[in-house]
Amino acid sequence: MGELANIFIKSAFIENLALAYFLGMCSYLAVSKTVKTAFGLGLAVIFVLGITMPINWLISEYLLSENGIFGMDLTFLRLILFISVIASMVQLVEMVVEKFSPSLYNSLGIFLPLITVNCAILGGSLFMVSKEYNFSESVAFGLGGGFGWFLAIIAIAAIREKIQYSAVPGPLRGLGMAFLLTGLMGMAFMSLMGIDPAAF
Amino acid sequence: MGLLNFFKKIEPDKKKRPFLHTLFDGFFTIAYSPNSVTSNGVHVRDGMDLKRTMIHVVLAMQLCYLFGTYNVGHQHFLALGEYPGFLEGFHLKLVHGLIKLLPIFIVANVVGLAIEFYFAYKKGHGIEEGFLVSGALIPLIMPPDIPMWILALSVIFAVVIGKEAFGGTGMNIWNVALLSRVFVFFAYPTTIAGDEVWVSGFEKISAGNNPEYGWAHGLFNKLFEWADLASFNSASAIVDGFTGATPLALASKGGWGAVTDVYTTAQMWWGAIPGSIGETSKPLIIIGALILLATGIASWRIMLSMLLGAITMAWLLNAWGATPFMEVPWQYQFYMGSFFFAMAFMATDPVTASSTNTGKWIYGFLIGFIGMIVRVINPAYPEGWMLAILFLNTFAPLIDHYVIESNMKKRLQNA
Repeated sequence: MGELANIFIKSAFIENLALAYFLGMCSYLAVSKTVKTAFGLGLAVIFVLGITMPINWLISEYLLSENGIFGMDLTFLRLILFISVIASMVQLVEMVVEKFSPSLYNSLGIFLPLITVNCAILGGSLFMVSKEYNFSESVAFGLGGGFGWFLAIIAIAAIREKIQYSAVPGPLRGLGMAFLLTGLMGMAFMSLMGIDPAAF
Repeated sequence: MGLLNFFKKIEPDKKKRPFLHTLFDGFFTIAYSPNSVTSNGVHVRDGMDLKRTMIHVVLAMQLCYLFGTYNVGHQHFLALGEYPGFLEGFHLKLVHGLIKLLPIFIVANVVGLAIEFYFAYKKGHGIEEGFLVSGALIPLIMPPDIPMWILALSVIFAVVIGKEAFGGTGMNIWNVALLSRVFVFFAYPTTIAGDEVWVSGFEKISAGNNPEYGWAHGLFNKLFEWADLASFNSASAIVDGFTGATPLALASKGGWGAVTDVYTTAQMWWGAIPGSIGETSKPLIIIGALILLATGIASWRIMLSMLLGAITMAWLLNAWGATPFMEVPWQYQFYMGSFFFAMAFMATDPVTASSTNTGKWIYGFLIGFIGMIVRVINPAYPEGWMLAILFLNTFAPLIDHYVIESNMKKRLQNA
């Protein structure tokens, strides 16, 4: 249990997908104008990461590896299978969101289906493979990574809501400021980088 | 009234030379309150404008400045094994401290104010007082031997990227002084971390090394010889066994025992230890904090909750006790490092902190909590408060957002 908590904390705060690896930047920068939509997208990312990670683990363990049911090394199919799993999960999230919160569905717009190509999701799955996690660890990693990304996007959304009232120089308004904020946030997040929970 | 007449005489024409007039206005309002006052509506009429607020903070820091200057010299002579008593060799320690501190102060303020003036000119508004406090804080949180060009770069980064890009004074998200320090910390780590940097005036801290004295020391030597006082001796050398390690560096290696082998608790409490220029003396910082509290500038909520957060975490780490550093009794954690400086002058910055009262409790508590984690658990950094405050600066708008939202919900229910 302690091991799983370590992986969760590490992937959420120390190796934050958004602010340490700068993954998933397109939707991170585009949908972070208000806290409400950022909150919705963040939850969707947590959900998709938390679901796709264990499914992808099962696929790479039982279908693609040499010890799997086909008995041969099919890792060259990894990328395409991961993407299709992610795409189908996103489709599911989209239907759920549309059914239960049409307003959020409308405000997320194209960025909800675009979670499919959100590099944080695919990146998470590929990290999981390269770090050789087992099933429960991959669940913890998926949820932790999603939570870290969620925290990063609602924080930047709150900041961007606040600086709407600031006299930001014209050329920097909008996306320019978002890039600057992301960089400075990455700097602030370095406070927890370097902690190794397994060392204790 | 000689000064007022002088100001009247040199006042530039506001229409013809708007930039010169704002420049004049900036200095005029340091000495006098401006003539333009609110004319209608109900307002609290008080001289407490932005500049007065800032000057109160600067005043609260003065004791740290005095002690810090002297301590730079004191540490220098401790390394040489000369004048071990605190007040022995007073003139030498004071002069060495001034030679180290004055350039840092001048460079930080000239660079920062030049940028401030340039942006005031570009944007066509009055000169903002924002840099007064940052310019006074930055020298206090730098190591005494920092190269001037690195200092200048860090100030430029902090003021341009950290403040002017956000629209100037009062609109920054991250603490400007801490941004300049964090810039040096990540861009030029060897100048601000490790055992070598906290004792000034040596190229390398190891036994037998001679101090490096420049022309300024030579100038003062002539004066001291004329006055028949002891003078700087460039032939003296660092004594055996002197490492320049700060209490925190010692504690992270060997726990509290390793600290007390080198420093006494009284030394650490009063601040005669190596460290950043202004952060070593706890009682003087507490006096500054009391001034800030009495004038109502700093928030007692943030200070108290930060203290509580740090105590809670230190106590939890005691209970955990996996490394010698974690076993340092929680009350002794406050003898080391810059907790009080961060609490009094950094976390309470009203611009970057949370602005709701509930938010202030959460904000302060988390700074104390995370700062202690970074200090004790994270091997990458010697001290945690700088990064913990920047981390919580990031989340302060979010905390405010949810506090306000929950207040709104509560009121809707009551309505």
